[in-house]
Amino acid sequence: MIKDITIGQYYKAESVLHKCDPRTKLLLTIAFVVVIFLCKNFYSLALMAALTVIAMLISKVPVKMFLKSMKPILPLILLTAVLNIFYNTGGEILLSFWKITIRDKAVFTAIFIAIRIFCLIIVSSLLTYTTTPTMLTDGIEKLLKPLDFILKPTSFRVHTLAMMMTLALRFIPTLIEEIDKIMNAQKARGADLESGSIMQRAKALIPIIIPLFVSSFRRAYELAFAMDCRCYTGGDGRTRMKQMRFTYRDLLVFFVFALIFAGIIVLNIKFLPVI
Amino acid sequence: MNVLSVRGLTHVYGQGTSSEAVALNNCSFDIEKGELVGIIGHTGSGKSTLIQHFNGLLKPTSGQVLLNGKDINESKESIVQSRFKIGLCFQYPEYQLFEETVAKDIAFGPKNMKLDEKEINRRVLQCIEYVGLDKSYLDKSPFDLSGGEKRRVAIAGVMAMEPEILVLDEPTAGLDPKGRDTIFGLIREYREKTGSTVIVVSHSMEDVAKLATKALVMNKGTVAMYGSIDDVYSRADELVTMGLNVPQITRIFMKLKAEGLPICGNIYTVEQGVNEIIRLKKEGYSL
Repeated sequence: MIKDITIGQYYKAESVLHKCDPRTKLLLTIAFVVVIFLCKNFYSLALMAALTVIAMLISKVPVKMFLKSMKPILPLILLTAVLNIFYNTGGEILLSFWKITIRDKAVFTAIFIAIRIFCLIIVSSLLTYTTTPTMLTDGIEKLLKPLDFILKPTSFRVHTLAMMMTLALRFIPTLIEEIDKIMNAQKARGADLESGSIMQRAKALIPIIIPLFVSSFRRAYELAFAMDCRCYTGGDGRTRMKQMRFTYRDLLVFFVFALIFAGIIVLNIKFLPVI
Repeated sequence: MNVLSVRGLTHVYGQGTSSEAVALNNCSFDIEKGELVGIIGHTGSGKSTLIQHFNGLLKPTSGQVLLNGKDINESKESIVQSRFKIGLCFQYPEYQLFEETVAKDIAFGPKNMKLDEKEINRRVLQCIEYVGLDKSYLDKSPFDLSGGEKRRVAIAGVMAMEPEILVLDEPTAGLDPKGRDTIFGLIREYREKTGSTVIVVSHSMEDVAKLATKALVMNKGTVAMYGSIDDVYSRADELVTMGLNVPQITRIFMKLKAEGLPICGNIYTVEQGVNEIIRLKKEGYSL
């Protein structure tokens, strides 16, 4: 049933990565994505892959969870690998039959790209597995805070955006429950949602979408009133109960990452590039 | 003649996962034609899960639901038919309204039954009358009505399918006392006029006592009691352990009976209580 869809994939566990400041995790995830595209040969890529595996292990999130998040991307990886093998025209010929020739460089590139995509998926899932959606939006808010300087003449603040994101995330499970209820109510009146042509099915959604919109607006008004009643006025002058603080832990993580980045540069220079 | 029979019905949510929960455990009972059954139970006792099995919205983990002796989960077709024969009206049904006009919304169910236009019109006119709203409402937008009126329109939308059994889940939730009496009045009237079977889910013992001919008590996913109102309500002590309570007025009269006063039958409503006291006074008892 629709309830079974999981959104917000936070996995509760006690680990260094869970305790890190969300800003650290956000920045390092972005840095990781940049650095992995700088890797030019298998030595530097191996270093990044090792970092990925170690991060995965210390996060204490079961490996099964990562495999689950990789499943939907698998066809994409296979497709890019296959296309690479057939269309890359550099290097020596390994195999040749009919009109197809496979070259060694093509195989290397295919493997290289596959490993790179795997690492990217693992690291980005690691961010959402170890950070709650609220912490993530708080982190984004803090990181984008300097933008408020430009936004000064308007009434819009970075905080407004972050609040919108937090609220949207908060209401996803509520709306899923609501859809479930409305679907049941219309099914009880004989609505047929499971058969017919695409047009018929699209039409059959109207009795679900309209009540959903109506109740979403109602909820939005109610929430706005409730926030007004608690004197919410937006970003300016607002303080936090839980302050985010960089600790020695974050410093250490940054330091380790800087070392690895230096290692990548050295390895890139020392060995010949593959792609 | 049993119109609805439930045989060994068990339902487990999320079977095989870590959040496995048994919502219904081996429930069996029969409902006779023309009866008005009140299903009572504490929050989370399985009432809502139970009624969603009546028209195939939920599939039993094991057990059967028989409508006129036939298993409703037999085929896809039988499930569709059960939706029309057992009209299910959920809690807060006003949130299911979606059409431009009240008339079109009430016609949604009959249209899904593929009836002809003449018949649909007849049912719309009849059902708006059943729920005690004026014909002038038919061309209004359902979103312009008050909360109580919306709810009545939504109930009319289920009645318009002319089901053999009408099931209402907490039809009076969130209404004021006057709105509650109106809804109860129209349920009673509907049953008298059409002779159909009605099932009302409620957690209010008072409401069930006022309305129903039989009561079915759910507790922790099982049928704890099922019988006439008198049978069920006389077991007040057991009900209390299930987080339910017999009406205050009933408790008072039970105490009086225990004190030795010759009270006839059980008292469920204040009116009955007043009449009983007048009767006792006339017979010369001092109260």
